[in-house]
Amino acid sequence: MSESDTEDWQENARMIVDSARAIVPADGSLSRVRKARFHGSGFDREVMRQAADLGWMLMRVEEDAGGLGLGMRETCALMEVLGGGLVPEPVLSSLMAAAVLQERLPEAVLTGEAVIVTAWQDKVGAQDWRGGASGGRLLGRKYNVPGAADADFFAVVTGGGVAVVPRGAEGLTVTSEETLDGGRTGLLTFDGVEAEFLPCERVEQVLQDARLAHSAYLLGLSERALTITLDYLRVRKQFDKPIGSFQSLQHRATEMKIRLELARAAISATARRFDTGADERTRSRDAARCKLRAGELAMLVAREAVQMHGAMGITDEADIGLFVRKAISEANLFGGPRQQRASLAALLDQEEAA
Amino acid sequence: MISLPDYNAMSDADFRQTVRSFVEENYPDIPRHTLSRLHWEDVKPWYLILSKHGWICPTWQREHGGMGLTAGKHLILIEEFERYGCARVNDIGPVMLGPLLLKYGTQAQKAFFLPRILSGEHIWAQGYSEPGAGSDLAAVRCEAVLDGRDWVINGQKTWTTLGMDANWIFILVRTDKTVRKQAGISFLLVPMDAPGVTIRNIENLELEAEFCEVFFDDVRVPADHILGEVNQGWTAAKALLGHERVFIGAPRLSASAMSRLNRIALRAGVWDDPVFRDRYVALQCDVLDLTDLFEIYVDKLRGGEDIGADVAMLKIFQSELYQRISELMMEVAEEDSGLRHPPEGDRQLHAAATYLSARPTTIFGGSTEIMRNVLAKAVLDLPS
Repeated sequence: MSESDTEDWQENARMIVDSARAIVPADGSLSRVRKARFHGSGFDREVMRQAADLGWMLMRVEEDAGGLGLGMRETCALMEVLGGGLVPEPVLSSLMAAAVLQERLPEAVLTGEAVIVTAWQDKVGAQDWRGGASGGRLLGRKYNVPGAADADFFAVVTGGGVAVVPRGAEGLTVTSEETLDGGRTGLLTFDGVEAEFLPCERVEQVLQDARLAHSAYLLGLSERALTITLDYLRVRKQFDKPIGSFQSLQHRATEMKIRLELARAAISATARRFDTGADERTRSRDAARCKLRAGELAMLVAREAVQMHGAMGITDEADIGLFVRKAISEANLFGGPRQQRASLAALLDQEEAA
Repeated sequence: MISLPDYNAMSDADFRQTVRSFVEENYPDIPRHTLSRLHWEDVKPWYLILSKHGWICPTWQREHGGMGLTAGKHLILIEEFERYGCARVNDIGPVMLGPLLLKYGTQAQKAFFLPRILSGEHIWAQGYSEPGAGSDLAAVRCEAVLDGRDWVINGQKTWTTLGMDANWIFILVRTDKTVRKQAGISFLLVPMDAPGVTIRNIENLELEAEFCEVFFDDVRVPADHILGEVNQGWTAAKALLGHERVFIGAPRLSASAMSRLNRIALRAGVWDDPVFRDRYVALQCDVLDLTDLFEIYVDKLRGGEDIGADVAMLKIFQSELYQRISELMMEVAEEDSGLRHPPEGDRQLHAAATYLSARPTTIFGGSTEIMRNVLAKAVLDLPS
């Protein structure tokens, strides 16, 4: 990797992070996020239009397919900012659709008129995605589809290829359930939906990328929650002293910080390895360990933040609660800690067999 | 002086190969992969071989007889020594005192002491801790009073690692009792054979005498045996901690413990047990994540950046991880973990040996609790 490559990605990441300020307020205000909870689709189409205007839909589309061909370092930088702002829009799911479809991404998505999300998961609590195609039609279910409540297109990933399915397709039933953070998660049921299956070789890679990108979102979320908690420790007084002067709380705060810096180091090193060429084994191992680290981090920071906020921590009025609910809703997406450890153990088996 | 090639001009891969060949060709017939430290009489051949080839002081500048390695190249050297299982030499002189002499020493001190560290004639010990000054190191009470042309030293040092092997010791002493405790400390250089110096060995949990107590009873050293200015010792003592902290946080202890855990699990027949695997892969991730964090600090060293108080994060996580690995070893070894001697005479299979040798890592070089206090204030900006 040359020096200029290094500078390129840093400059790109800076520009993308700056552009995200249109969506994540620089002053850290969470009032939009708070208002969007528990009604409608749980996200704002206007924000998705902005995201398209900012060129995000083209980030993970290769240059020779008309995209920007940006790497995982830039993607993670963006996701970290979105996580810090608890952005509820299905940006990652749209980026995944773009990465899977490349030049076949619908034009209306690029202009921001339409929203596309990815439907890949065959089963709750598993990372299987090969189901859903049967005799040239879509059949069966896809779980945990973010933004399904108001998306216009679904990039449906199956072992027989990927299909772009419009919301109104005959035989497709879209239902959704409220999530703890105030958003909605979708369930797609296909009853023999006619579809054109486009061959796609990169599904597993896109899922690894998504696992990494989602880890960056959780990192951003955790960092902001820790910052808010540290601020509180500095100002909240009991026994005539700021509670942040108490050693028991200080030591627990340092544990959060250590876990946070481990996650940051793992995610940034993994993104660099993904961008500069990593073999398949390294990719699956490192995506899994980033997700393991980030998922556990988000839950650790969430529960410690509640405890350290005392009674304020258990009110809905305090913003820290938004982080707790989001952490709970998101930490197990793309596989929770148990699943990540299981896939790492499977890699160990492969090494021995080899 | 030996003329060495410019190792820093080599590619990392070439340098690694150079170190690997050097070790394979030159390592003497002494133990490898030991968990506890060897004493001078056992490790002396290796020290003298390193000395003969100009490799005993990797980080000193070349004009002073070192290899002049950058931090990145030094790390490769450490990794390759570790890979081969080279015993650690009595390195207080090369690692700790040398850099201090170079920074604070007079011309005469440098001319006298540096060549004797390089040759192995002087083996140094570090006299910091006292019975009443451990984590609160600035509370040292061992005192030195100027009497004519001599410093007269009275007091005690303890936990002096390999002090029984040393013929010189550098100590922190109180030279002013009337000021703030940090402002009344000086650095003295003392020959261990000076009248009034007494040593008492301390057996550690592993039943080995790795450290000792050193008593000073009206010990006299010439006035010029002070390093740096009078009452400026605290600054020098803290300067020692800078780069070394990065190496204390290196993942190598944990990584090598993982390979022992692997062997112990195979021997115990639990390697395929899913409950064991679940915990094994979690620890493996911890080692890999620590390695990624460690690389960030190595890059800083390479780029000549200062290392801040945040490096304590590395030390805390590394030492606690090492202990957690050793705890899983004990579970896996079951009843065998309680045996005094290694199974099959193989120290690598002795879970308790790792368990015990992992205990001091959260204590020395700044205990975990003190490190967390430092992090809370200096990095998290929490109030006192």
